[in-house]
Amino acid sequence: MKLYYFSEMPHHEYPDAEGDKYPALRLAFPNTHFSPEVAHRNYQRYLDEYEFADEAGFDGLMINEHHSTPSCVNVSVNMAAGILARTTKRAKILLLGNILPIQENPVHIAEQIAMADLISGGRVLSGFVRGVGVETWWANSNPVHNRERFEECHDLIIKCWTTPGPFRWEGQHYHFRHVNPWCLPLQKPHPPIWVPGTASPETAIWAGRMGYTYVPFLVSFEVARELFDYYRQGAAEVGRPVTDDNLGFLVCAVTADTKAKALEAGRHFVWRMGPTLRGPVEYFSPVGMRSRAASQFALKARSVPLSKMSYEELVENYYIIADTPEEVIERFARVKKELGIGHLLLEAQESRMDHPTTMRSIELMGKTVIPAVARM
Amino acid sequence: MTVMPREETISVGGIKVHTLIGGTGDPLLVLHGAGGNRGWRRWMAAVAERHTVYAPTHPGFGQSDAADWMQGIGDLARFYLWFLDELGLSRVHLLGHSIGGWTAAELATMHPGRLERLILVAPTGLKPAEGEILDIFYFPPEELLKYTVHDPASIPEWPELYGRPPTPDEIDIATRNREMTARLTWKPYMFNPCLSHFLPRVEAPTLVVWGRQDRIVPPICGEQYQRLLPNATLHLLDQCGHLPPLEHPDAFAELVLDFVDGPRGAAASRRV
Repeated sequence: MKLYYFSEMPHHEYPDAEGDKYPALRLAFPNTHFSPEVAHRNYQRYLDEYEFADEAGFDGLMINEHHSTPSCVNVSVNMAAGILARTTKRAKILLLGNILPIQENPVHIAEQIAMADLISGGRVLSGFVRGVGVETWWANSNPVHNRERFEECHDLIIKCWTTPGPFRWEGQHYHFRHVNPWCLPLQKPHPPIWVPGTASPETAIWAGRMGYTYVPFLVSFEVARELFDYYRQGAAEVGRPVTDDNLGFLVCAVTADTKAKALEAGRHFVWRMGPTLRGPVEYFSPVGMRSRAASQFALKARSVPLSKMSYEELVENYYIIADTPEEVIERFARVKKELGIGHLLLEAQESRMDHPTTMRSIELMGKTVIPAVARM
Repeated sequence: MTVMPREETISVGGIKVHTLIGGTGDPLLVLHGAGGNRGWRRWMAAVAERHTVYAPTHPGFGQSDAADWMQGIGDLARFYLWFLDELGLSRVHLLGHSIGGWTAAELATMHPGRLERLILVAPTGLKPAEGEILDIFYFPPEELLKYTVHDPASIPEWPELYGRPPTPDEIDIATRNREMTARLTWKPYMFNPCLSHFLPRVEAPTLVVWGRQDRIVPPICGEQYQRLLPNATLHLLDQCGHLPPLEHPDAFAELVLDFVDGPRGAAASRRV
């Protein structure tokens, strides 16, 4: 099993009482609480941690993108990929990913991913996501078109990478009279495609049909297995075999020299389960963004919202893994056994988890956990 | 005796449109707002004593067929011109509320000759000169309802419409209505930058009705419509939010009848 390091690059340096005054931290919390000086230091620090994760032996470095939120100030997954492509040497760079429905120019996205792949020497794993509703508001993109735009944007990017230009694209949502990108990926026919999921059966089926690596985020084992079944259903439709390499899973994880220290560090993950997900349902799932089937699945998948679980429950149910390296290995083995996955993505830094704690966790993962996981 | 409607399904370009039809007299086409077709309401029954009221449910709303290909209110307006063709109605009085008012305004600019008289009730469609149109998609439906009317307690039909929790079917229809509204109005939100350039084409006598306490669409938009339409009168209702036909059904019905048949309509005609 392969292990991936991930930080949302949070900006949690403000009094929590200020955030509590608003209906949500996303969209509604004023950016007067954003500090450029803090963000400057944070970016340096987070990128140092990514570089150290590369040196420590993580198989991949995962980056993502969000907007209008202190929970994630990585506002450009492709810009971060470009930096890591140059400053890291070995690990895959997992973009998970570009938020396709909100893009206005898929050709530019295809060029940017290709450029990161070229700079990195072919280390890019290109994730495509539909985004949460917050991003739809941020981009003012009509949510009822979300899935259509996701699929059409994807189709055009793939065509950019696989069909010699110049060609013309007249789709439903995208129209380009002259497509001829002079920047193509090093990997052929193109970088591997990854797709995350939390609730949408349609996305899992689509990913299975396409043969892309599919990764449920922060769901129970039971829900992950159900989503994997949808994935297998899609794969079966086109006669595509499914292996461990097609399936991944994301958990929050930190390790430390003692169990007590690890559990103390792990508490920082609670912020991303509760306060950063708090808010009206309209912010996260605007009208028309989800199908009826996905809405019903989401209700079932989150019958108990993460925000309602105690820290102890989150640890017990494998949303958070915080323990000594030996115990972490045991728990990762259990995840592997439960789900049969080939990729385990670790959200490994969060909230106000400090630099020394994060670096020590990366170091211990590299020394003890990664070699053991590689044998799983 | 109260005039009751019959239900019909009108097929327009292959799309089945659920329609309530009631009364006798000159035809009045009523286009509903984002909340959907609330059925045969008290004001309609009053107006139907002197007019044949046609109250269709927009494609994508309620029990009408979907029209996912539509991209904006202009498409809905063109659709209703076709709807009139199917009904064989060459000229009608046209009344539209909220996004139905915007649709009516667009239709009027496309084919002014189809209209006898035009009634726009708190229509969207224009960018407010001051303030903003409330983003209805940003709020949960139950919270939005509070912004929609001035005083629920004074609305005679409120208990019938909202006095109990919605059934699962009603929730599904409300969701469908919101999705189709988003499809038609998302960006630019609730207005067409070109509409103001076309409104001067509409010479039909027009009544613009607005609630003074409208918190969804700023009443200043009423002044903008009055200024841009060559033959329009603006009537502001006190103690009234965004739903004048529900909030003051009797006064509203009287206003409509006076305008369509009576002295105020005649006065507006003389202004031309």
